[in-house]
Formats: sequence, structure tokens, C-alpha cells
Amino acid sequence: MQKIKIIEDDLSIASELKEMLENAGYIVGITEDFSNILDQLKKEKPNLILLDINLPKTNGEILLQQIRKEMNIPIIMVTSKNSEADEVLSMSYGADDYITKPYNPTILLLRIGAVLNRSNKTNEKKFYRDLEVIPQKGVLKKEQDEIILTKNEMIIFLYLLYNQHKIVTRDELMTDLWNNNEYINDNALTVNISRLRAKLKEIGYQDAIETRKGQGYILHE
Amino acid sequence: MNEKEYIKDKSWLLVIEIIIYIIILLILLAFKVNKEATIAISLVYMIGIIIELLIDYYIKKAFYNSFKEKLEKLDQKYLITELLDEPSFLEGKILTNSLYEIDKSMIERINKYKSRTQDFKEYVELWIHEVKLPVSSLILMLHNRNPEQNKKLLEQLTRLDNYLEQILYYVRSENAENDYLIKEVSLSKVISNVALKNKDLLLEKKIDLIVSDISVSVLTDSKWLEFMINQVIDNSIKYCKKQRPYIKIVSKEENDKISLIIYDNGLGISTSDLPRIFEKTFTGNNGRKSSIKSTGMGLYLCKKLCNKLGHKIQVISEEGKYTKVIITIYKNNFYKFDDKED
Repeated sequence: MQKIKIIEDDLSIASELKEMLENAGYIVGITEDFSNILDQLKKEKPNLILLDINLPKTNGEILLQQIRKEMNIPIIMVTSKNSEADEVLSMSYGADDYITKPYNPTILLLRIGAVLNRSNKTNEKKFYRDLEVIPQKGVLKKEQDEIILTKNEMIIFLYLLYNQHKIVTRDELMTDLWNNNEYINDNALTVNISRLRAKLKEIGYQDAIETRKGQGYILHE
Repeated sequence: MNEKEYIKDKSWLLVIEIIIYIIILLILLAFKVNKEATIAISLVYMIGIIIELLIDYYIKKAFYNSFKEKLEKLDQKYLITELLDEPSFLEGKILTNSLYEIDKSMIERINKYKSRTQDFKEYVELWIHEVKLPVSSLILMLHNRNPEQNKKLLEQLTRLDNYLEQILYYVRSENAENDYLIKEVSLSKVISNVALKNKDLLLEKKIDLIVSDISVSVLTDSKWLEFMINQVIDNSIKYCKKQRPYIKIVSKEENDKISLIIYDNGLGISTSDLPRIFEKTFTGNNGRKSSIKSTGMGLYLCKKLCNKLGHKIQVISEEGKYTKVIITIYKNNFYKFDDKED
């Protein structure tokens, strides 16, 4: 399980964020004391930090520099300061991403996932049961058999794969597709999912994707 | 200043001189001074007056004429004090000193107002950032508590956020100091941000978003461009048709510029409204008819931000058929900035 540290002084946002991230399967720590954050981080060793810029006693941009000097933890800046200058400054200090408030929660989760994937070993092979997933080639491989997925089908399949522990809503799938510049509509999503199902069936995984009516989809283990 | 004006101005002096001359003549007559002496004295007296007037005329003419000339050439008239040579005569000195004083007090006053508006702008910007916190908090709360049922609430929050953005960019566009940062920006990333922002509304209203040929980078401030495109898309959504609505986004590269074209098959704009759409708080026929009231600020702000960034914005439309917004971004626009304060 991945640990995420939230450094945010607005208590309401921090606790809602905590709830959301916990629902998404992360272990989450929030910050109560802003005076010795560096020591706290050294002790807790999170896998990722969500860092606000306007903080009591310190400033997120300064803190970012301090953390970067001593640790190599991925950091996403989450702030209401939405000027280009602030973003450029943060990125030059070594932030991995920059997200402005108010944000779409699903997008925040996607970006967190992306940063974590980047920092973990990316050339590690991905598997669904005994099926090797090769996103770069858009291919699912089982021994000698290969099925080719379209870009959209691959995005959907990967999202289901990474979120196997929970029900994935249509909105989440849609957000991920749109986030990858595939601006499809509801009908197209339905078509894409049924095609993906058909392809999985072809290679011997009947009913791998289950529909939970009114809730979403789940990829069986 | 010419001779005629000068003599007219000095006529009272001439009248006195003539009276004095007559008195002198009478005195000379009374003392029975002979003719030759009288003529000599008269000549000396007159030549004296003429030399006096000539010297005075040329000194003043030189000063005032150059003063007027400089004033005419100046765009900012109050800067005249920087250009004046120190005059050699008293009136001129009084005039220039007074001008210095007047300018100084005016500039002090302007600075006072400037710093007041600056304070106000800073406060508004701070306030906007503060308000965004509860908005973010509310969005997270909705997400955590059954998002499917809270779509309507989320829609209102999105609206609120859009209004906040409008005032933020209004303040930024009014700022004398330039608040933007121009760098190479990936157009597809900006479009993607706008698309994601409007995803729920687009899907709900079944508007298809067709995006192609946008894998170019442009020289702009990504946040400003994002705001502008968002305003345009917001209009397209507001004024969409019921049947098979779509929005098409395409970019076109030409020699020295890249045009971003946002096309929708919506209600369009009437020919009578079209010339006025960039005016502040102008709401045309559509804006008044629509269920969501138009603020008349969106396109006004787009135009203003475009001017500041050195971009161009253009709207072509046919009522009932389509609206096409073209944002033109120059590849090297350092010389096209419009720094005029309006």
C-alpha cells in the first residue's frame, strides 16, 4: 500500500482529501504541526506528498526546495495559486506535478496514479492473471496468442486493472479517457467496453468485466 | 506668438509711452527748448522704446513658441516640465515653477489612487484564492458522498468557479504590470484541461467534442489561454442546439502564426449583435433568451487578454447555423504587444 502525506492547512479540505484517498486505497497522513515538517517526513517516509503553497509558518515553495535537497519523494503541488509564474517556479524547484484548486477529484486521483507509476519501476511487466499487458504496443499477450486493443480499449483495461479492488464508475473511465485526449461520448464508451469484453472472451476470459448495475464495472481477479 | 499679438498685448504700455512723450514735448515747449534739441530728444526716446520692446519680444517669442511647439508634440502633456529650458525672465520662471508644483501635486494624487487600486486588486485576488478553498472543499465532499446524485450541486459549483475565474482574470487584465508569463505551451494540454473542466456538462447535454490537429506548441501563457478557451466553450455549451450538437476544435498553422478554431453548430449570433459581442457587459439576443443568464464579460475578457498577450480573436457566425471563434497566436509576437492602457 502506498503512503500519501497531505500538507494542507485547510482542515476541511485535508480531511475530505484524506477520506477520498483512503477510499481509493491509499494510506494517508495529514499534517497538524507545520513547524518541523521535514522531520515528520523523514520519520513517516511517504511515497508521495501533496503540498499546498499557502501554509502557516512556512511557504510551500520554500518547503519544496528543502524537501528536494534531502529526499527524493514525488511531490504534487496542490494550490489555489493558478498563475503560470507560480507553476513554472514550482516545477523548476522539482515538483512532479502542479494542480490548481478547485480540482476535479477524479483527475487528482489520476494524476497521483500517474506520478506514482512514474516513480515506481515503469519497465516492470504488468499482468492480468496469466495475460501480459503491453500498453506501449496496445497488446494483451498469452503465450503465443496476442490480441490487439485500440487506444481507448487499452485505457479502459488499464484503469480497470489498476483499480481491481473496487468498483470503477463510468465517470472515472470517462475522465481517464478524456484525460488522454480521447473525447468520446457515452455511447462510444458503452461500445468500447463491449468490444473489450468480446476481445477478452476471444482469448478465454469470459465475464472478466462484470457490470454492477447503477454503479459501474469491476475486473475480476 | 507673433508681432501683432505682442503689440496688442503691450498696447497699454504704448498708450502710457505716448502720454509721457506728449508731456515731455509740453515740458520742452514750456522751457522753450529749440527745435533741433527737441527732435534729438524725441528720437532717443523713441529708439529707446523700440529697442526695449524688440529685446523683450524676441526673448519671449523664443521661449513661448518653443513651449507651445513642445506641448503640441507631447502625447502626455504633463511631461512638458521635463523638456523646458530655464527661462531668463521673471514671468517665465514663475510659469515653469508653477508647472512643476502642479505636476508634482497631480502625480502625488495619482499615485495615491494607484496604490489604492493596487491594494484593492491585491485584496480581490487574495479573496478569490480564499473563496476557492471552500469551493474545493465542497467539491471533495460531493465526491465523497455519492457523486452520481450530486451532479446538480456540482454543476452549480462549477458555475461559481467560472464566475470566480472571470473576476480573477478581470483583475489581472486591469493590472498595469503584466501578470502573464509567455512560454512554449502544448496546445493539446490546454485543450485537454478545458475539455475535462466541461466534461460533465458536455456529456449531459450530449454535445460531441471533436478535436483534431492540435499537437502543436504555441507561445502564450497557458493559464490565460485556458481561461479564454474555457469562456468560448462555455458559450458554445450555453447556446447549443437541441439536435446533434457538436463542438469542433482544430488548429491551423500558417507561416508566422497558429490559428485555433473553435466551431460549434449552435444558435449562432445575429448580424446586429455580432459587432458588439466584445463590448463589456453586452448581452445579445441569445444572452437574454438563454435560461442561464449571460454576464457579457466572457468575450470582453477574451479580447482584452488577447490584446495583452499579442494574440488576435475573431468571431464569425451565422444565426441559427454556427459560431466560429478563431484565436490567432503569432509565432514571434514580441513586437506585437499592445501595452496601451485603456
